[in-house]
Amino acid sequence: MILLETSNKILEETLRERFNSGPEHLLIKLADFDGVTYQIATPESKTQLVISMAMGCYDECQRYGADAILQREYGSLLVSTPEPGFAVTLKIDLEQLPATPEAKEQLVQQVAHLKRNALAAPFESAFVAQCEGRTTDLMAVHYRDAEAIYCQAQADRVTVIFSTVFKEETDRIFGKVFLQEFVDARRQPAIQNAPQVLYSAREPPLEIRGQPGLVDDENVGYVTFVLFPRHYATPQARNEAIGRLQLFRDYLHYHIKASKAYMHSRMRARVDQSLKVLNRAKPEQPGANKEKKTASGKTFRRM
Amino acid sequence: MSNTLRPYLNAVRGTLTAAMCLENFSSQVVERHNKPEVEARFSKEVLLTPVVVSRNENEQVLIEPSVNSLRISIKIKQADEIERVLAHKFTRFLMMRAESFVVLRRKPVAGYDLSFLITNFHTEQMYKHKLVDFIIQFMEEVDKEISEMKLSLNARARIVAESYLTQFFA
Amino acid sequence: MTNHLPAVVIDNGTGYTKFGYSGNNDPQFIIPTSIAVRDSVGQAGSARGQTVTGNLASKRGIEDLDFFIGDEAVANAKTYSVHNPVRHGQVENWDLMEKFHQACLFQYLRCEPEDHHFLLTEPPLNAPENREYTAEIMFESFGVKGLYIAVQAVLALAASWTSGKGDQTLTGTVIDSGDGVTHVIPVAEGYVIGSSIKHIPIAGRDITYFVQQLLRERENSIPPEETMEVARRIKEMYSYVCPDIVREFRKYDVDPATWFKRHEFVHSVTKKPYHVDIGFERFLGPEIFFNPEIASSDFLTPLPEVVDGVIQSCPIDTRRGLYKNIVLSGGSTMYKDFGKRLQRDIKRFTDDRLRASETLAQHNLKMANSQDQVKAGQLEVKVVSHKKQRYAVWFGGSLLADTAEFYNCCHTKAQYEEYGPSIARYNKVFGSML
Repeated sequence: MILLETSNKILEETLRERFNSGPEHLLIKLADFDGVTYQIATPESKTQLVISMAMGCYDECQRYGADAILQREYGSLLVSTPEPGFAVTLKIDLEQLPATPEAKEQLVQQVAHLKRNALAAPFESAFVAQCEGRTTDLMAVHYRDAEAIYCQAQADRVTVIFSTVFKEETDRIFGKVFLQEFVDARRQPAIQNAPQVLYSAREPPLEIRGQPGLVDDENVGYVTFVLFPRHYATPQARNEAIGRLQLFRDYLHYHIKASKAYMHSRMRARVDQSLKVLNRAKPEQPGANKEKKTASGKTFRRM
Repeated sequence: MSNTLRPYLNAVRGTLTAAMCLENFSSQVVERHNKPEVEARFSKEVLLTPVVVSRNENEQVLIEPSVNSLRISIKIKQADEIERVLAHKFTRFLMMRAESFVVLRRKPVAGYDLSFLITNFHTEQMYKHKLVDFIIQFMEEVDKEISEMKLSLNARARIVAESYLTQFFA
Repeated sequence: MTNHLPAVVIDNGTGYTKFGYSGNNDPQFIIPTSIAVRDSVGQAGSARGQTVTGNLASKRGIEDLDFFIGDEAVANAKTYSVHNPVRHGQVENWDLMEKFHQACLFQYLRCEPEDHHFLLTEPPLNAPENREYTAEIMFESFGVKGLYIAVQAVLALAASWTSGKGDQTLTGTVIDSGDGVTHVIPVAEGYVIGSSIKHIPIAGRDITYFVQQLLRERENSIPPEETMEVARRIKEMYSYVCPDIVREFRKYDVDPATWFKRHEFVHSVTKKPYHVDIGFERFLGPEIFFNPEIASSDFLTPLPEVVDGVIQSCPIDTRRGLYKNIVLSGGSTMYKDFGKRLQRDIKRFTDDRLRASETLAQHNLKMANSQDQVKAGQLEVKVVSHKKQRYAVWFGGSLLADTAEFYNCCHTKAQYEEYGPSIARYNKVFGSML
């Protein structure tokens, strides 16, 4: 698995199961990337599925039009007053599901993308504004404790800036290697059309200078994506871009961790090999009279 | 293999073979104790002069012989940040498994990345020349492993970046 | 922000891995503990080095991400080679295990491990080195916030608290029966009494085989390639434990209409329906726990006798607690009335023993010309069954990881960096005072 999915697997599987089998009492709490939590419950009756999502930065997203996007995506499923402690609540009546399996599946997918849709607000408004030739203010979404996404539509482009924090030295250095490759990747002819990526450690880029809450620390880095109309002009490209951009941080960290796991397996192999060399130094014990194997797999002792 | 590595390793091999001349030696200070003198450092007269074999300022080996034990400390080449982190990770990983490596020290001597402690009991149980082979081969492999890890890290990063960015063509 | 994020509970079993977020009643995922990797990568991981393939693999980049776990692994068995990193409850291949965890976290649970605490399980008598390796993977590769490694049997005890029948203690005997093997594990105040653990080679799979064998002798409507599946379904849907086989046979003879069942199966390939009559195998299947001689010839000790033996081999001051709280866990303990029968049979052993010692004491007293009556104190035997039995270990973990105390008992990342992996060797027992 190289790329991460944009939908939530647990939501997806739970809903699919609920849609296709009998009603059952449910209360499930689950989490997603970036501190998002969900709750799937059937508080009133077994056929009323209530899905709530809590998200640290929802009020910021709301400011950039998240409500409208959710209204568009979920329409009547959306409950006007979310459950206490949650930002968004959807209610699905299991007795009034779409009839065809395809339509059911589509609903499942739609709900599984709840987080994606909520977080899409700043990107979407920037893309739309830019397509209409407007510029927007800098939109900041503090989607994690110490990290934020900044998004702005400018005259001819949309800039998306991520602030990233690496918790430890190894992560920081691995992260740097990865980000450097993001910057350099565009030199390849095959992906010249991809958005331009800029990376600066510690020093915030011009666009977000003076923003509140910027931390001046060794472990902080800033990644800038510069998107041109070709990346968001068609709805399809726009959807793809939004999904990808949101998951950038998780993608980066996933791969940093995956490479650490890979290093581990390399090192394990190396340790095994070195041990073999060391064991060669040990003379075979003459008294041990070891069992030997023949080609057919039988064992015998030389007397 | 670059041309300075061979003489460097040969020098280490020569010094190690000469230094690995150990015999059982009971402690002169504590009755009925037998300690590796190079670690205990109780009596000066049983310690020999330490030798540093150095390829350059980043790669050197410190060999500290004594009457019943021998300590070898290795400084691993660390050209940049990445190699430093990788070397640190790797040596830590190795030292975690010191139990199975028998001659590996759980902590390096200050200023070095990795230390071995060979006592007369080890040389009695194992072939001396094979033990020297092990150390030499180990030194070669550590360097190779670290540069390979660095290469593969870069290669991974490139693929990861490419596959992310190609997504924007829908 | 991170405080309200639920902890992640992962129970890696030999056959299946159960994992999900804490505070839930059921694990979110139950997948086979299998991983499918490309052949070349699997080998390169274990014997890389000067070999040409190893170097090539490292140059090409990220072949090690080309793998599947769980059901997807089984589905891809044709083009990949499928491995099981866990054998007999113990992790055998750490490379594969690390990848398995990686996919569990990022693909299935979608959690950033840096934000969550983790509760993993281990079998009883796990080597402390394995805990260190686990800690190394979890902290170094994934940078998890906190880690706790719990013994499966202790979690199964904790899971039984929901039954509302017993006290909330961490003393008891756990009978854990899965597909492959059944363990009887005594636990005293959260500590496993390792020397007394017994394993019984009778478990779910043996029951299925036995039912299959019974069907084969009588039913000829079942297509031969389906017998295993049919046997498994019958076992899961109709089996129960009877108090007495002889009487049960008679019951079936007197009133066949209520006891014999008929089930319609559909052939998985041809989709043709066929009927199977279900009779004595309903109670004979699980009976092999109590009368192993009907199915196997090499293991002949009935389960109640093994349990009694295990408790008798434990320190004398723990035995009362162990008899009082016998907890069931695992799918093969789910048969109706399994607990009742077990309790009755064990009770018989203890009563016999009590009576024997009473008469003996009486006899001795008579020798001393005393007229006193000797009466031994009653010994309470209780088998606790509850609703969460099937995934008891996971559920116990989910329960404990949801308490505030859990966070105090976790090893944190800071501690790991300070002391190294050896901190994971010791995990505080907790939960007994809840």
